[in-house]
Amino acid sequence: MKSKSSNVNDTNHLNKEENKNQPKREISSPSTLDSRFNQILRNVQGVLDFVSSASDASCGKRSPTFGRSFSENDTGTSDHVQNPMEVEDPSRGKSNNGNVNKLKSSPSNIENTSKGAHKSPIGTRATDSARVTKFTKELSAPTVILERLRELAWSGVPPYMRPTVWRLLLGYAPPNSDRREGVLRRKRLEYFDCVAQFYDIPDTERSDDEINMLRQIAVDCPRTVPDVTFFQQVQVQKSLERILYTCVDDWSISDITPEKISDIEADCYWCLSKLLDGMQDHYTFAQPGIQRLVFKLKELVRRIDEPVSKHIEEQGLEFLQFAFCWFNCVLIREIPFHLVTRLWDTYLAEGDALPDFLVYIFASFLLTVRISLSSPV
Amino acid sequence: MAGYRAEDDYDYLFKVVLIGDSGVGKSNLLSRFTRNEFSLESKSTIGVEFATRSLNVDGKVIKAQIWDTAGQERYRAITSAYYRGAVGALLVYDVTRHSTFENVERWLRELRDHTDPNIVVMLIGNKSDLRHLVAVSTEDGKSFAEKESLFFMETSALEATNVDNAFAEVLTQIYRIVSKKAMETGEDVGNSAVPSKGEKIDVSKDVSAVKKGGCCST
Repeated sequence: MKSKSSNVNDTNHLNKEENKNQPKREISSPSTLDSRFNQILRNVQGVLDFVSSASDASCGKRSPTFGRSFSENDTGTSDHVQNPMEVEDPSRGKSNNGNVNKLKSSPSNIENTSKGAHKSPIGTRATDSARVTKFTKELSAPTVILERLRELAWSGVPPYMRPTVWRLLLGYAPPNSDRREGVLRRKRLEYFDCVAQFYDIPDTERSDDEINMLRQIAVDCPRTVPDVTFFQQVQVQKSLERILYTCVDDWSISDITPEKISDIEADCYWCLSKLLDGMQDHYTFAQPGIQRLVFKLKELVRRIDEPVSKHIEEQGLEFLQFAFCWFNCVLIREIPFHLVTRLWDTYLAEGDALPDFLVYIFASFLLTVRISLSSPV
Repeated sequence: MAGYRAEDDYDYLFKVVLIGDSGVGKSNLLSRFTRNEFSLESKSTIGVEFATRSLNVDGKVIKAQIWDTAGQERYRAITSAYYRGAVGALLVYDVTRHSTFENVERWLRELRDHTDPNIVVMLIGNKSDLRHLVAVSTEDGKSFAEKESLFFMETSALEATNVDNAFAEVLTQIYRIVSKKAMETGEDVGNSAVPSKGEKIDVSKDVSAVKKGGCCST
C-alpha cells in the first residue's frame, strides 16, 4: 500500500511528527497497519464510552449497538486480514442483552492484536464459525430482522456475505425474501432506463453543466483507488462513469456489458443512492454537512482531550484542513484499502447514525496519534 | 535529498498556493518540486494538502510552504479559504486541454478576490511533454500572461522540466519584494524581516518592477 507514503505532507503535523518521533516504525508494513487500525477501532469504543457516560450526546441513541465487540471478522476466506480484533469493553456489558458473549477477549488477545501477531488465537475460529452460523440464520429467515442483522454486522460481516448484507442494510434489498428478487430485478431495469435516458445520448442533447460534469467524471474515474487494479479495469471504469453521471443527474449503459456486471452496476448505483440519502448535504454546494461535522469533531476533541486540542490550535492547524478529507471520503484514503470493507460493515450497520458515528471514529484517530501529536517539536 | 535543510532552519517562510482546474497536474508539480516524485496514478486532491521545501536565494534560506488545492468545482467554496495569507500563486492549466486554459481567467479572478492584489502569480502550462497533443500554444499562454502581468512558464512534471525553475522564480520574486521593502524601511533583511508563522506578508508595495518582462524563456 503506497497510498500512505504518497500522501505524506511535509508540513502536515500529524505525519511529520509521527515520522520524526518514530523513525523505526514501519508504517507501510501491512501487519503494522492492521494493528494500528485495530487500535483505532478500540479507541472508538473508548470515545463512545466517554460520550455515553458524559451525556446523552447525539450519537448515543444507537448505543445498544455499541455493546458488541468490534471484531475483525476474518472467516478464513479473506487473505489479507490476519488479526482478528477482539475487544469487549466490560463497561458496555450492561447494554448487552446477554446475546453478545461470543467474543471473549482476554487481555492476551489484545496484546496479540496490537503486536500484529499472525497466528489467530484458537478460540477465534470457533467464534467465527459461530458468527457465520448466526449470519446464515438471520439471512435465511423469511423476513430478515434488520435490527438483528445490524447488531451482527457492526462487528464485521464475513466477506462472502457482504453483497447480501450490505444490500439489506442499505434498505435496497427488501427484508422479505419472497419479494427480494423481484424488487431487485425491477430496480435494475429502472436503472438501465435511466442510463438510456440520460447517459446514452449524444452530447448535443446535454447541457453545458452536464458536459462539464462528464468531463470531471472522466478525469476522476482513473484516479479512483488507482493502486487497486480492480478499479483500473476498463469495464469497472465504464461502470463507475455511468454510475456517477446517473447519480448526479439520473441517466446510462452500453450493450456490450455482460448481464451480471450490469446487474452489479445497477445495484451499486442504488446502494450509493441509499447511502447518500443519509448525507445529502455532505456533497452539495460548499458541503455544509461536512463543515458541520468538522465543527462537531473539533468540539468533541476539545471536550475529551484539551491538550491535543490546544496543541493543534497552537500549531495554527485548522480541523478543516485535515478532517475535511476524512469526512469527504469517509476514511477511504486514510486506511489500507483491504480494511475499508470491514470498516464499511460498521458504517452500514450504523445506518442513519453514520454521520455522527464518523465524528467519533475520527476523534479516536486523533487520540491514537495523540502521543506523537503532543510531544514537543 | 541533498541540499534540504533542517525543518525549522530558515530565514523566510512564504506561503504559495497551487490553483487551477482539476487534473492539470498541480499535485504532481508539488511532488516533483518537494520530493522529486511523479505518479501517473495519483489520486484527486480533496480539500487541501501541503508540502514544503527550502531553497537558497541570495544566501538566504527561503522555506516555501505550498498549499495544493483541489481543482474540482465542487470544492471551490472551501478552497478559496485556503488563499488567505498567500504571497505567491502558481495558476496551472493543462496544455493538452483547452478548457483548462479558458478557465484561467476565472481562477485569476477568484485569486484576486481572496488575496492581496500584489501577490506574485505565475501562469503555468503543464504537461509540455505531450507535444503531439498540445491544444494551447506557447504563444497563447505567453500573451495571456503578459496581458494580465503574470509570470509564465511551460512545465512538465513528468519530465521534470522547468518545475524547479518555476517555483524558484516565484520564490525569488517574492523575496525581492520583501527584502526591498525591508531595506526601504531600514530594517536588517536577515533577521527582523523574518515573518513569523502565519503572519501575513505585505507585498503591496513596489512590485511593479518585478512584474514586467516575465520569465518566459522556454
